[in-house]
Amino acid sequence: MKFESLLRQVLGLGSSKTGLSHWIHQRISAIALIPLGVWFVGMFIVLLPASFEEARIWFSSPWTVALAVFFILALFYHGYLGMQVIWEDYIPHELTKWTLIIVTQLVSLFMSLLAIVSLLKVFLS
Amino acid sequence: MVQLRLPPHSRVQKGKTYPSPSQGPRMKLFHVYRYDPESQENPRMDTYELNLDECGSMVLDALLKIKDEVDTTLTFRRSCREGVCGSCAMNINGTNTLACIKHIDECQDDIKITPLPHLYVVKDLVPDLSFAYSQYDSVQPWLQAADNPPPDKERLQSEEERAKLDGLWECVLCFCCTTSCPSYWWNGDRYLGPATLLQSYRWIADSRDEATGERLDALEDPFKLYRCHTIMNCTNTCPKGLNPAKAIGEIKKKMVERVV
Amino acid sequence: MSKEYQFIDHTYDVVVIGAGGAGLRATLGMAALGLKTASLTKVFPTRSHTVSAQGGISAALNNMGDGDNWRFHMYDTVKGSDWLGDQDAIEYMCRNAIPAVIELEHMGVPFSRTEDGKIYQRTFGGQTLNYGESIAKRACAAADRTGHAILHTLYQQSLKHKAQFFNECFVLDLIMDGDGVCRGVIAWNLADGTLHRFAAHIVVLATGGYGRAYLSCTSAHTCTGDGNAMVLRAGLPLQDMEFVQFHPTGIYPAGCLMSEAARAEGGYLTNSVGEKFMERYAPHVKDLASRDVVSRAITIEINEGRGVGPLKDHVYLHIEHLDPKTIHERLPGITETARIFAGVDAAKEPIPVLPTVHYNMGGIPTNHLAEVVNPTDQNPEQVVPGLMAIGEGACVSVHGANRLGTNSLLDLIVFGRAAAYRANEIVSKEKIVKPLGAKDGEASIEKLDRLRNAKGSLKTAEIRLNMQRAMQTHCAVFRTQNYLEEGIKKIQSIMTSYQDIQLNDRSLIWNSDLVEALELENLLQQSFVTIHSALNRTESRGAHAREDFPERDDVKWMKHTNAKLQGNQVSFTYRPVHLYTLTSDVDVIPPQKRVY
Repeated sequence: MKFESLLRQVLGLGSSKTGLSHWIHQRISAIALIPLGVWFVGMFIVLLPASFEEARIWFSSPWTVALAVFFILALFYHGYLGMQVIWEDYIPHELTKWTLIIVTQLVSLFMSLLAIVSLLKVFLS
Repeated sequence: MVQLRLPPHSRVQKGKTYPSPSQGPRMKLFHVYRYDPESQENPRMDTYELNLDECGSMVLDALLKIKDEVDTTLTFRRSCREGVCGSCAMNINGTNTLACIKHIDECQDDIKITPLPHLYVVKDLVPDLSFAYSQYDSVQPWLQAADNPPPDKERLQSEEERAKLDGLWECVLCFCCTTSCPSYWWNGDRYLGPATLLQSYRWIADSRDEATGERLDALEDPFKLYRCHTIMNCTNTCPKGLNPAKAIGEIKKKMVERVV
Repeated sequence: MSKEYQFIDHTYDVVVIGAGGAGLRATLGMAALGLKTASLTKVFPTRSHTVSAQGGISAALNNMGDGDNWRFHMYDTVKGSDWLGDQDAIEYMCRNAIPAVIELEHMGVPFSRTEDGKIYQRTFGGQTLNYGESIAKRACAAADRTGHAILHTLYQQSLKHKAQFFNECFVLDLIMDGDGVCRGVIAWNLADGTLHRFAAHIVVLATGGYGRAYLSCTSAHTCTGDGNAMVLRAGLPLQDMEFVQFHPTGIYPAGCLMSEAARAEGGYLTNSVGEKFMERYAPHVKDLASRDVVSRAITIEINEGRGVGPLKDHVYLHIEHLDPKTIHERLPGITETARIFAGVDAAKEPIPVLPTVHYNMGGIPTNHLAEVVNPTDQNPEQVVPGLMAIGEGACVSVHGANRLGTNSLLDLIVFGRAAAYRANEIVSKEKIVKPLGAKDGEASIEKLDRLRNAKGSLKTAEIRLNMQRAMQTHCAVFRTQNYLEEGIKKIQSIMTSYQDIQLNDRSLIWNSDLVEALELENLLQQSFVTIHSALNRTESRGAHAREDFPERDDVKWMKHTNAKLQGNQVSFTYRPVHLYTLTSDVDVIPPQKRVY
């Protein structure tokens, strides 16, 4: 039985005064990903037939590595923000939703760290 | 996970067919959603055949003809019959609109009429809008000003300031937009929906209102406002030709403006 | 009473029936004054018919610098009423128009604006300066959707003041006690099928007009004058019911309203030979003559064979010569309606129009404080305790025999406001609302039960159509004795046929079959009284044009008709017209011949 007033249900827990930074970051990371994505895909196509040694030389430039790290950060951050919205949209079960959001966050963080460390390994070798 | 099928009691079954007593060159089939809350039965689609030569030109005219002459138990809301009161909002051939200004001739083939989607159905084409009305109430849709107005005179507002309200104040609260929004379907308990956000922006845009900050504060929330993913169903479906998506965009713009 | 019907009892200071412009203005005023107020409405408030009002609300603000003054407004209203309006009430309305409209602006109504930021005012039919000398700009407008702007703002203010709403709640009857005091109402909640009794110090009827008694009307489907019929059933009279206004420009054939604002912004009417025929009927103000005058002119043009279209049964309204900017800014609503309902681009071609039932000047008699009056031989101003009426359903009488455009929204706001003030005075004296008796309201439920289970042979719509046809044929713009008598016989037999009604929906939740049957009963009772009153008044005045009595007869008929209904009998008493003012700030306007 639920006698809670409709207005109470609508007002819920009130405004969280958040959401704006999420919205802005999603857009900024999206904007960054446009040139970075083009650059990364272009580089990938160029390096595809190349040998490991050629690739290693390519990745010895700090410019390349910085751009690649930038791309990885933007990609995983943007991906995490997007996935968070998807979970919030489609998973009504609170515990499942929170679990998925946290797991996505941790996985994104770990994957980006893994990618960056791998790059640094090539760069420093 | 997301529930993709309707619960067993809500699944629509085949209903009765009512052939037209008269025949003519312009015959049309109307499939209408029926649900009787006092019976234990599932909702059904009844089919009514109408001779359009004996019927008015709008979908509402067809519904009235059915109710008046064929089946008086058919239930729907209607009032002004000229598209200004917002009563007869329903889904006609997949689009939310007002039945009183929807021409039958615009519809190819048969016409399928169901209540506004994703609301509880009270009876037939009458949905329960009380939650949406409370959402409207929740944004305090009235003029808020700290200053007392001049006692014997109106507040002044320039023609340009007033023009900013055009496309906002004309909203008839039919909730066609809100109930066409997938984001509202999934999170309607927390997302305010396009109609309510448009109404909130109507006051943010009003040069006489002095509560813009409080209004933005109350909306700044991942669910209340930011569930809008610019899907644009709201703008495409608005029977009054308004643009709720743009109004929501303006709110988001204001949110950014106050931090940069 | 069967177990199936259980009452839920409520107690309030005031119960307002109807949530249109008048009802909401009263509700929010009362809630703001701290009265415990309930608003009962059969539709969600913003669906009320006020939303359809287009042109504007009149108030002599003088924003356009034309030297306007409330005394001119009063003169125009008295002249428009063909001297049947009560001049004390008209003075009250025209004076209070100014603060009432300013209050609306303060509440947030999005009025159109002038260059210097004030409320924009436009001309309107019958509104003049210097006692008829030139045309006044008096109608405060929000584009051509003024009613929408006002209604939504009033609802918003009611939310602000936390008024309690019972939406989609159909009121069946008034509860009157043996002393003729109104004690409350009985209502049926459509959403869950429950029955409610409301006990209150005051019941305010704001239930609007009964345009749906006619076949072709600008009124919404919900305009069935339920409050008027409740008053008749309570044994109280209705006043001046013979005065039914035909709006000159209902769109052909649907009947939707084409605002007078179209002519106010420069539009004009033509007949089949392209003549601007209003120049013949009202040489002075032409197309901006009072509505009854223009409606009669159009009817004569059509009757004399100068109508347009294949059936020569309508005329043209032109706005295509206007500046596209004016059309876009000032007339967007009617342009849209013309496109949707007549398939006409009003910016390029003329709009087909014809006179259509629009407004009921008659209704529940009240004084200027909104209290309902039941005249007796000793006291023509005898107040009915506990009962008030406002809006189109009331007959204050500020409109007399013919209402001026934009005075309707004004009537709603001014007397809605007055009702709130008066209720506050009355309620502050009273202490406890007397509880209702166990049997109160039972008769209404018995009727409801009988109807719900009616197994006759005639569908509601069939009977309704018969009534609408009879009224449209026998009680229209021009009336004669033979025709009216024939009409009375028809309506009488239609009332008898109502006993043979057939309902198919037996439920209580949202049983619109039953709602329509109840509304039809209300309409029939009002139609019967209307047509009787029309036969009874043997003169022509304002909207009541008798071909057999073409002149106004001030000696015999300068009085209000009060009609009561008992079974199939209509009985008449009369109430003097108030040929006096409320204050000494203005003189009585003595009767003159009415020419435009």
